[in-house]
Amino acid sequence: MKLGKFLGQGTWSLFRILITIIILFPFFFIILLSFRNMLDIYINPLSFNTDWAPENFKEAWGGPPGGVGFSVYFKNSAIVALIAIPTSAAVGALAAYFTTLLAPNLRRNFMVFPLLATMLPSIALLIPFFQVFNSFGILSNPFALGLLYAGLSLPVTILVLHAFFLEFPKELLEAAALDGLGSYRTFTKIVIRLSLSPLLAISLLNIIWVWGETQIGLVLLLSKESQTIPVGILTFQNALKANPGPIFAGLTLATIPLTLIYLAFYKTINKGITMGGIIR
Amino acid sequence: MASITDNGDLTPLRSNTRRNGVSRLSSLPVFIACLPALIMLLGTFLLPIFSTLRLSFSKWPGVGPVDWIGLENYSSVLKNSEFHSSVRLTFFYAILSTIGVMLTALLMGLGASRKKRADEPLRAIWFLPAIAPATAMAVFWTISVQPDIGLVNQLMGKVGLGSQHTWLADPEAAMYVVIAVTIWASASFPFLLIVGAIDRIDPEILEAATVDGAGEWQQTRFFVFPLIQPVFVMVTVLQFIWSFNGFSLIWAMTRGGPINATTVLSVFQYNQAFLFADFGLASAVGILGTVFLLTLGLISLRFSRSRTAIQ
Repeated sequence: MKLGKFLGQGTWSLFRILITIIILFPFFFIILLSFRNMLDIYINPLSFNTDWAPENFKEAWGGPPGGVGFSVYFKNSAIVALIAIPTSAAVGALAAYFTTLLAPNLRRNFMVFPLLATMLPSIALLIPFFQVFNSFGILSNPFALGLLYAGLSLPVTILVLHAFFLEFPKELLEAAALDGLGSYRTFTKIVIRLSLSPLLAISLLNIIWVWGETQIGLVLLLSKESQTIPVGILTFQNALKANPGPIFAGLTLATIPLTLIYLAFYKTINKGITMGGIIR
Repeated sequence: MASITDNGDLTPLRSNTRRNGVSRLSSLPVFIACLPALIMLLGTFLLPIFSTLRLSFSKWPGVGPVDWIGLENYSSVLKNSEFHSSVRLTFFYAILSTIGVMLTALLMGLGASRKKRADEPLRAIWFLPAIAPATAMAVFWTISVQPDIGLVNQLMGKVGLGSQHTWLADPEAAMYVVIAVTIWASASFPFLLIVGAIDRIDPEILEAATVDGAGEWQQTRFFVFPLIQPVFVMVTVLQFIWSFNGFSLIWAMTRGGPINATTVLSVFQYNQAFLFADFGLASAVGILGTVFLLTLGLISLRFSRSRTAIQ
């Protein structure tokens, strides 16, 4: 019995170590290999005893000859995120809060729409997006893509914030009403100011999504100069097939800043996910 | 209905209690506040889905007029052997990766809920695959499984298992590599949802079980599993839907190859539309996929509602 318990503890500890290694494996080697030259990567990637090649980052940032690099991809991802995230948060918060004021039945029926929208697969929407972007001449336009991403992230934003606003203390709202605040001013003066942490959580989740979205970006961002980080990685991968050093440097640039943001805010993000429940 | 407050009193119509006051007397502000969201949802989801539906009955090569051709796209796609193969591959990929993801996520969930100090940092680290862009991770793993130069092959060579495996060039093996990477990349999100479900278990239940002499496995088997089951089932359905729609990771690793061995539905559709400019046929594929997934989603939603599992 005692021995069994001891073995059980040991197995779990081993499992925890093993999973941690498997999960950190890519992050560790992406960073390690991004500082090494081609020969070292090919011949002996596991050795530490070699020349370091920081010029990989120069090439990743500036791009291969005749191409563009991560300086451009970063700029485009930033444009897309700066348009998508505030728009989604503002529009989503308005709808998420005011629907909580509806009668319960009406409210529940209304919330079925964002729920259904989260189930629609990209393959059902992709072609009209292309059609519309094409006919308006906004293919390869990160600003337009940012607006589209705002719309695409809206259902999840509404669902998560709605779940939070349902729990908003009623006494505060009643007090505001007694003070003569209208519903809009209650929203801007009280509700928003006391909801910064869920707004932060959903915005961070949306940043993670925008930073990784590939399928729609691939179709709508045709010119190299307009591509976001995840789409640019694919272009980069093609252009630098024979030279992995700058590719690893690019993967480092694509992965590490986001990872650091996450680690700085992981409590907020994880709480948003475990509490907010089921929807991505 | 709206004239009765929570404590049952009859109230005049101009009540200023929140539920009655706002919902009855000022639904116009609610509508105005929701208008931007309604317009955006309409433009991003509703209009496009109808547009796809219309295109699926049409012939459109990407430029010029859209010609109505009725059900021709559907009949030709249903006869298309590449479509059949992509449907088979999609189910194979979605089912296997869902099973792998959910089992891994369940084990990880139990492993990160040991009431130890390391639980919290482990939860942060184990979520990292969900943060990193899928294409970046896919490119890393693609290079790592190359023969000789790839890390995985080199490590296998070091332990005597050979370093010459050309997995991604082998139509028999490529799908399994893609599924393995999918499990690596996708287990983290369900993992965190399962952790949330385990955290919500009332600790008194488990304490009572311990007092009654239940060992750790019995606790897990008879208390933890049944209590997290509703969440687990719902997440499994969602994971299946996400895998069924999977594109980025597969595209970044294989572009659907070798010889179409990993051409799942989303890759098939991409090729039809953006390689062969057959937008009508691609739309029909989109509609067929949507009908299947919406049916699945609605059935499971109904199922979970009737059992009041979530919210």
